[in-house]
Amino acid sequence: MKRAGLYAVYPLVIFVLIILLFPFFVMVSTAFKPVSEVYSNPPHWIPRELYFRNFSDIWYKYPLGSYFKNSFIISVGTTLLTMIFCIPAAYAVARLRFRAKSFLMYLFLVVQMFSPIIVVISLFKIVALLGLLDTLLSLVLTNSVFALTFAIWLLSGYFRNIPKEIEEAALIDGCSRIQSIIRILLPVAMPGVVTTIIYTFISAWNEFMFALTFITSMDKRPLTLGLYNFIGRWTVQWQYLMASAILALIPVVILFMFIERELVQGLAGGAVKG
Amino acid sequence: MRGKFWRTESVVAYLFMVPASVFLLVFMFYPIVYVILMSFFRVNKLGDLMSFSGWANFRFMFDKPEFWQVVLRSCIWTAIAVAVKTGLGLVIALLLNVEFLGKKLARTLVIIPWASSVPISAMIWQWTYNNDFGLLNHTLRVLGIWKNPPIWLAEPGSAFAANLWVDIWCGIPFMALVFLAGLQAIPQELYEAAEVDGATSWTKFRFVTLPLLSGVLTVATLLSTLWTFNDFNVIYVLTAGGPGTSTDILITYIYKYAFQYLRFGPAAAMAVITFAILLTVSIIYARSYFKEGAF
Repeated sequence: MKRAGLYAVYPLVIFVLIILLFPFFVMVSTAFKPVSEVYSNPPHWIPRELYFRNFSDIWYKYPLGSYFKNSFIISVGTTLLTMIFCIPAAYAVARLRFRAKSFLMYLFLVVQMFSPIIVVISLFKIVALLGLLDTLLSLVLTNSVFALTFAIWLLSGYFRNIPKEIEEAALIDGCSRIQSIIRILLPVAMPGVVTTIIYTFISAWNEFMFALTFITSMDKRPLTLGLYNFIGRWTVQWQYLMASAILALIPVVILFMFIERELVQGLAGGAVKG
Repeated sequence: MRGKFWRTESVVAYLFMVPASVFLLVFMFYPIVYVILMSFFRVNKLGDLMSFSGWANFRFMFDKPEFWQVVLRSCIWTAIAVAVKTGLGLVIALLLNVEFLGKKLARTLVIIPWASSVPISAMIWQWTYNNDFGLLNHTLRVLGIWKNPPIWLAEPGSAFAANLWVDIWCGIPFMALVFLAGLQAIPQELYEAAEVDGATSWTKFRFVTLPLLSGVLTVATLLSTLWTFNDFNVIYVLTAGGPGTSTDILITYIYKYAFQYLRFGPAAAMAVITFAILLTVSIIYARSYFKEGAF
């Protein structure tokens, strides 16, 4: 790129950012307005004064604390369950030879692309049979299923990149296989493990459809469903919804920034490995 | 490599695969089989299989003009969204590939729509689209870009466009980032060699950039096709397929049939059709994924 093109870059970049961040400007603008300003026609961008009351109101007037708690329980539970299944499977895929391996990996990659909608009809039946309707456990189980295949993919890639010799040395020194995984492989592959944990956590945190289908009681709603129910009951208090959205988005956006590169690599496969 | 060692290695491997496989069998493969069964049975409001009904559930849907409208809309939805995401993603990637002050910050900001939770983004957009108090129409009017913007979510046509835009907006960052990664993998020497041969910017783009990006383009477009076709959250939150079913795509329509109308049989039939479509595209994606980089 030549220097001459540089002057054109800034206006274009700014234009792109305005388009991509537009709703977040709206979110921030509305979250700091009192109700009288939120419902003024024509609306205005800049609040007359920074109004912080919305942020305290949502904790007292709405069960926001319980939404956060539920989302947290579901996300932690999903992450734990997924990791328990995913670590041995990823190890087997990365380190061991067995006949069905490439078939299974192929299957996982294909399965990853399914919409949960296809199976939600029958999952509903299964969840009901297990007596798990309207429980957080139902969401832990279903979120884990849909995070698991990609988690195995992601983690086995990290395991593969670590030289075998380190573990082999440990095995020769009389470590059991399990010990060599826990003491040697996992610490060395920690960045990959953390990435997989974050990915799973975020996917559970953002999940909406299963929550919508399986959860009926108010006190079991995760954030996505809880905020959705702000809408369509009585009149929407948009300033409260926007303030809640800020609080709900900040943790995931920050976490996401850590894994975004790995996600792109993991999803595009060899296509972007330069 | 026959013998005891090999045997034990594969025994260990299968043991390690058991927990994940059993879990997937129960909660993924069994539900798929059950949905296929449901689609060939009369199903009551609780989802129990009542009696074998052959193709009746499929015929029930095929006889509805509305179903075909939804199928057509899903195709249009996917085609437009993927094309726009790919185009804009490529433009943004090219922009971010230029060296300028604040590039890192710009890249980080571009990610945010992808990083935020889709249902929550859709709620924010719903408020943004509000005609009386929303800042989108207000800004369009004030800047003179559009004197009479539509009441976005009230009319079928504009509601479809509004849904489509939010889906596109959510999908742009991934496209931009994946193309950027692809661009950065192109060796600089190729551009220098092209310049020596007197290539213009356009010819460099046409004969160096595009051919070398083709692998990334294929994989990203296929992924995007799957995601776009499956975008339940945006439509459900913004308009729930309304007004009427005018903004439903197959994915939201299936959900509506199952959990609003409680017609599990026809919903299962549509799920099976959707499953077949997705399976086809997924297999193509998996193939191009492996072709680009075997594991």
